[in-house]
Amino acid sequence: MSITTYIPLPIAIPLVVAAFLAFTGKWIGRRACDTLAIACAAGNLFLTLAILRGVWSQPYVYWFGNWWPRPGGVALGICFSIDAIGASLALLTSILTTAGLVFSWWIFEETENHFQPLMLIFMAAMCGFSYTGDLFNLFVFFELMSVSAFALCGLKTVEPAPLQGAYNFAIVNTVGAFMIVIGIGLLYARTGALNLAQVGRSLGSTRADSLVLLAFLLIAVGYLTKAAIVPFHFWLADAHAVAPSPVCVLFSGVMVELGIYAVARIYWTIFSGPLAAHVGALREILLLLAALCAVVGALMCFAEHHLKRLLAFSTISHAGLTLAGVGLLTSKALGGFVIYVLSHGAIKGGLFLCAGIVAHRLKRIGEDHLHGRGRGMWFTAALFILGAFGLAGILPFGTLLGESMISDAARDFQQGWFQYVFVFAEILTAGAVLRASFRIFFGWGDPAPTDESSRVEEGPETSEPHNKTPITMLFPAAALVVLGIAICFWPQLRSTADGAAQTFVNQPGYEDMVLDNTSMAVPAKPPEESLAGSILRSSIAGSLALALALGSVFRKRLPALSFTRSLEMGNRALRTLHSGHPGDYVAWQSLGTAAIGGLFAWFLR
Amino acid sequence: MILNYLAYGVAAWVFLWGLYGIVTSKNLVHQVVCLAILQTSTYVLLLAIGFKVGGTAPIFADIPVGAPVVDPLVQALMLTDVVVEGTVMALLLSMVVKANEVAGTVDPEELRIMMG
Repeated sequence: MSITTYIPLPIAIPLVVAAFLAFTGKWIGRRACDTLAIACAAGNLFLTLAILRGVWSQPYVYWFGNWWPRPGGVALGICFSIDAIGASLALLTSILTTAGLVFSWWIFEETENHFQPLMLIFMAAMCGFSYTGDLFNLFVFFELMSVSAFALCGLKTVEPAPLQGAYNFAIVNTVGAFMIVIGIGLLYARTGALNLAQVGRSLGSTRADSLVLLAFLLIAVGYLTKAAIVPFHFWLADAHAVAPSPVCVLFSGVMVELGIYAVARIYWTIFSGPLAAHVGALREILLLLAALCAVVGALMCFAEHHLKRLLAFSTISHAGLTLAGVGLLTSKALGGFVIYVLSHGAIKGGLFLCAGIVAHRLKRIGEDHLHGRGRGMWFTAALFILGAFGLAGILPFGTLLGESMISDAARDFQQGWFQYVFVFAEILTAGAVLRASFRIFFGWGDPAPTDESSRVEEGPETSEPHNKTPITMLFPAAALVVLGIAICFWPQLRSTADGAAQTFVNQPGYEDMVLDNTSMAVPAKPPEESLAGSILRSSIAGSLALALALGSVFRKRLPALSFTRSLEMGNRALRTLHSGHPGDYVAWQSLGTAAIGGLFAWFLR
Repeated sequence: MILNYLAYGVAAWVFLWGLYGIVTSKNLVHQVVCLAILQTSTYVLLLAIGFKVGGTAPIFADIPVGAPVVDPLVQALMLTDVVVEGTVMALLLSMVVKANEVAGTVDPEELRIMMG
């Protein structure tokens, strides 16, 4: 069967099944809903895998209704232009959705909440987002995934906290979405086109004027809001703390990263020509943003004691690290970005599912309340600790390969300082997860200090007591952590990712492929550099994270360790900024936009 | 001449006032309405982009080919925008109704449960 026949299916089938479930869910019953949804997600897994295989060496352009442009004409139709990077993100989406749906087999007592249809719509939107080659279509899929995400986040509407989280999420992201619309409108006004390749060709390599710069600023800020980059990140912690665990898996594992992917996509299809003269300045601005995000996220992560909020801040920190993969504006770093996103998505997904198991078994989610109550949950504890080392990126985890490519690329551009940002973020995020697992599963040391956010206790997703963890919860969590390790053993992964990234950044080749139906040049696979430096760095990061976790758990025994207390209490000013007020969040968003706009105006003119 | 740019100025003006309203709002319903106002700036912008002085509707059944017409594409963009954001507004307002039921308040200041 040719690849053409099934390219629209990963979007079409879940939408149809979701509509069916939304209408008939009441009558066919809970288990039938679950089974159908899991079957649909698993089917999507195979479809996206087949599409990834089909575009592995050569990207593929699919024109809906065969509205392909005539030679020398303009693109009027809507196309999917699928390459290995987009296809692997769609595969990650399907994997995480399947894991989340399997996990949810024993949670949610009522069936009226439309959980399964919303998950399927969310999955379809994210697959479409990764495949599309049209600027406006990118926005439509963005909004589809946003709306289903808002609804999934506020699923438990009987408590005020989920409503607050979902509301803040919706307000901040919708303001970002309007910025994207305005940016798209400006580009359309300039070029009269909406196809990414067509817009890119119309702009050509004419130096960017203020209109093009403003369009880039607004579109980039809109997608970076979704990517939770500081200072657009405030919504993420609120949303993750209250969303059901299987939903958090999708939020942290792939939705946030898709925001960064979109920035990469629009940069290399539209703006790399007009901004070519300023690529050095743009690189520095994006790297600074990435470093700020990684550091703030890591500090907040270690200061957090609400288990899911802790993981959420770790996601913010890692989103900063992945932004560097794009922000270095080179194919090698972009290859590292893909590997990092795939392995981080699997590991973070596994960690969120473990947090979900803890909430399911022990009915609480605050580190202080849970102290020592997780004794005996050995398997969950092992997965949690493994996941923590995955965040540190030590040897058998895929994150190591991603880190090595991004750090190598940073050194190529005399930005070697960024590898220390990497180590810093890895120490604090892995240290925080290790600290929490030592306290929860082993009961070591004193209970965690109580802080503001751990007062927010989740209403249990189920009411009756559970003395055993069901296999439907353990298996997906274990599978995701194992996947995070397995990625590392894929032969020649780094040069393959580098090759895919070279295809991705080849703007003239992309335009010719989409508009003139030519095939892309197959890039030469570069040799892989030594991993020794990365292994050394990550081993140091892993051991320091372990030391930091042990130090903060056992600080009463040794006065020299008292500094961990201030680290664990966090910076008061920084914590006050995360005020929980949607107005404040939008104010920060506007301020951040203005600041980045100022930098653009100063350095990119 | 100035009229050509007036619509863009109005779009920016409406956008910024919407933003101001969202930031300073003390009532969730008011805040959602401010978001809707912010959104109307995108309508104004898209209209301004598609508009052509002296242009008529782009239906060539009864006008000569080559006559000045307005851009037929922006209405499709706007329609999508309207549908998408109608959904968001409905969802947001339903959350506000729920918040009023559960927490008994529509003041974002009082709804702050998570912080720090």
